[in-house]
Amino acid sequence: MENLIIEETKYTPSINLDIQKGLIGLIGKSYPENTFEFYKPMMDWVEEYFNGNEQPKTIISFEIIYFNSSSSKLFFDFFDFIDEMATSGKYIEINWIYDKDNDSALEAGEDFKEDFEKLNFKLVEK
Amino acid sequence: MDIAKIEKFLNCSGIIFVSYVGMLSQELISNMTEALEKETVKNNVSMSTSVNIFTIFVELSQNILNYSKSKNEHIKELEPKGLVLVGYDKEDDSYYVVSTNVIDRIDKDNISPKLTEIKSMNRDEIKKTYRELRKSGRDSHGKGAGIGFYEISKRCDNIDFKFTPINDNKFQFIFQSNITNKQKIGE
Repeated sequence: MENLIIEETKYTPSINLDIQKGLIGLIGKSYPENTFEFYKPMMDWVEEYFNGNEQPKTIISFEIIYFNSSSSKLFFDFFDFIDEMATSGKYIEINWIYDKDNDSALEAGEDFKEDFEKLNFKLVEK
Repeated sequence: MDIAKIEKFLNCSGIIFVSYVGMLSQELISNMTEALEKETVKNNVSMSTSVNIFTIFVELSQNILNYSKSKNEHIKELEPKGLVLVGYDKEDDSYYVVSTNVIDRIDKDNISPKLTEIKSMNRDEIKKTYRELRKSGRDSHGKGAGIGFYEISKRCDNIDFKFTPINDNKFQFIFQSNITNKQKIGE
């Protein structure tokens, strides 16, 4: 399987899925018109990656400035899948990166951390 | 509208950052959000307050867009027409985001009790319900007050809404959210 890179737009984040590095990285804003359609290639890639193609250690890095409610739902479903993978024994570390002045991004990270308390979910101030 | 009326409106509405009436598209929403970002930087609005304004603006604009799309699958009569307005109220030192569009009676009957409930909830209750709904997936893609209105209510100090009948089946839906200007200590 190959790496997947999606460039950032005004309303969608850059997506960097790197199989060699075991990296799943998102940076930017997220309010696509069709959220589930937009993230489908990422969701498919992640599923294939954890289907025997994964590195011993996977790093997930989310740096989302703000997002719409359907992105919020999609991120929840994403972490739910990751939670399943971690429970089945995959080593996964999640970094939720937020600007120190962005209270909303911090709060969103705290909520996900609480919703998935078994995950290795770190809140990282930048 | 004559120029005196426009002047009166502008004076009593404080500073208007963004206003738009007409057909909405995703491209237009993102361009307006970009303009809004510039305005908040220019006006030294704190990042937390700005992010809340952008999120509410996007949510309400996409609501109008998605609503008309959902209707257009059946009938061609409804175009993604609406009004969105973002401004600053000097007297209250708060920002407001207002949206209005035409909706069907059936959707008004669906949205109205949910909004009445949200309006009566405190912040903790809103947050709790938001997370429960997100978890259950219930209404997640729904067009009738799914988690979208909870997302908005979580990020503002209060909401208000009104349905004005146009005819037996159509209503003008007006929604307003107010965001108090929160400056961080030390700024």
